[in-house]
Amino acid sequence: MVLPRYAWRGLYEQRLVILLTMVAFVWPLLCAGFIYLTNHVELLQGLDKEFLDFIQVNGQFFRVFMYVQAGCAVFIAALAGPGLIAPDLSNNALPLYFSRPLTRWSYALARLTVIIGMLSVVTWIPGLLLLALQVGLAGGWWFLANWTLGAGMVVGFLLWLLILSLVAMASSAYVKWRIVAGAVSLAVFFILSGVSEMIDQVFRVSWGHVLDPAWTVNRVWCTLLGVDPPEGPGAGASIVALTAFVLLLVVVIERKLRPVEVVR
Amino acid sequence: MSETAVVELEDLRVKLGRREILHGISCRLGVSGTGKAVGLLGPNGAGKSTLILTLLGFHRASAGRARILGMDCRRNMGEARSRIGYMPENDSFVGEMTAVSFLRQMAELSGLPPKAALEKAHEVLFHVGLGESRYRELRTYSYGMKQMAKLAQAIVHGPELVILDEPTNGLDPAARRRMLKLVTDMKEEQGMNVLVCSHLLRDIEQVCDEAVILKDGAIVHHCNLEEERRSNKSFVELEVTGDDRNLRMALPEIGADGVSEGGGRWRIVLPAGVEVEAIWGLAARQDLLVRKLTHRRDTLEEIFLKAMGHLSHTPGESATLEVGGS
Repeated sequence: MVLPRYAWRGLYEQRLVILLTMVAFVWPLLCAGFIYLTNHVELLQGLDKEFLDFIQVNGQFFRVFMYVQAGCAVFIAALAGPGLIAPDLSNNALPLYFSRPLTRWSYALARLTVIIGMLSVVTWIPGLLLLALQVGLAGGWWFLANWTLGAGMVVGFLLWLLILSLVAMASSAYVKWRIVAGAVSLAVFFILSGVSEMIDQVFRVSWGHVLDPAWTVNRVWCTLLGVDPPEGPGAGASIVALTAFVLLLVVVIERKLRPVEVVR
Repeated sequence: MSETAVVELEDLRVKLGRREILHGISCRLGVSGTGKAVGLLGPNGAGKSTLILTLLGFHRASAGRARILGMDCRRNMGEARSRIGYMPENDSFVGEMTAVSFLRQMAELSGLPPKAALEKAHEVLFHVGLGESRYRELRTYSYGMKQMAKLAQAIVHGPELVILDEPTNGLDPAARRRMLKLVTDMKEEQGMNVLVCSHLLRDIEQVCDEAVILKDGAIVHHCNLEEERRSNKSFVELEVTGDDRNLRMALPEIGADGVSEGGGRWRIVLPAGVEVEAIWGLAARQDLLVRKLTHRRDTLEEIFLKAMGHLSHTPGESATLEVGGS
């Protein structure tokens, strides 16, 4: 935990990171208020019955929560990610790390831990707190009936954080300048989304969505939370596509994390 | 009980891509725990850096074995790295960290507990002369300061072996002197073994006790500089005016032997215990006027040039051969 400790200290010295993290707590607070209101219906007397049926704490509620928090996580990752590997590469610090009892994989894992740890603070941790609030207000029977929501939320968020972190690490490994690396991290998602949409429209198919990691993660979330999925490839195809994307990112990062460049 | 060599190579071959860089080199260098320095010399492209990177586990051997401090470079690299310090040739640092944070992190990565790492970081920075600037970010340092910071991170965890790759590269004379003094202190006062890779022969001659010369991926010479210094075998190049016909027969009076090169020039081999003052006395007794007297040992430069093939014999060897031949 040596590398993560020093990295977290450095990251949380940046005011913009602290500001974004604080902004990312606004939505969970609003959701907490929502949970409180739905469990105190006497406060909502006089509202339309259909509306009262709509505002339930269920899979759809957590899906919306996850959607917004995942968006915040993208911006935090774009801000914090570039500082992960680029400073070590630009100043040739990798030989110093790897001349110590530290393998390339433990270095990469340490960097991954840094960003996943940062993003966990604004994703599944407040999500579990919301779940705990709901259980506390609604009673244990609600938990017994809906425990899969908690597990699904944690797994779903971790999947998204893994994708985000690997994209951030890859852009940090290949782009020296932080601002550009951050922009590349964001652009990856927009570009892939655009490409997938273009394929779907041009070829009049729906499988183009597998190229969009945001769409495929959302598709997996729908399965985990028991929510009606959007039209397109199923959860299985989405998982396969995400696995391929993760493996590609791992290979891309591995090629850069070497103590010395060998000219062959 | 056999002594553990600092570096032990058995028919080591290293390939990078399709090119074989090290061609089956074998040697034993240094003795662990003795606080000696080994110099690694060679022209550009000889394989010095490849050897060092192989010892650090950055390159894999295609054949043969390499051991460092008795540990196999392939199988026990994790443990070996906790006992090694490495100062790379190129700029290596984390620019946004202060020197203290940087050293503290490196010390903790090498296994020191956080509190000890902080204490050692401050201590080492003062030792290398960066005490006053230890709270500045490394990217604000001058080149010389960065070199010292690189040395500091290599020794902060008190390693048994420190590997220095071109430590005096780009340093001004004062900084170079300071660096060499620090290297000497490391081995003499702290008992660290040092492996110095350099193309500056006088640096190696100044700090090292043993030298290995590499050429085209093979060891062409291995000499014990400490023993050479102790042997005291030296030679004198003498130029005299006067009748020197009897000089050859007079030399055994002082236990020396020599050969005339004509025109009053002589090469005289002095064995251990015979000082050059004896030559002056002998010349006076022979009524010879000394025009020039040069007292020399073979320098590392001459040994190196001979190893590279630029000299067929060192001057010392030439003198010994000429005297023995006549």
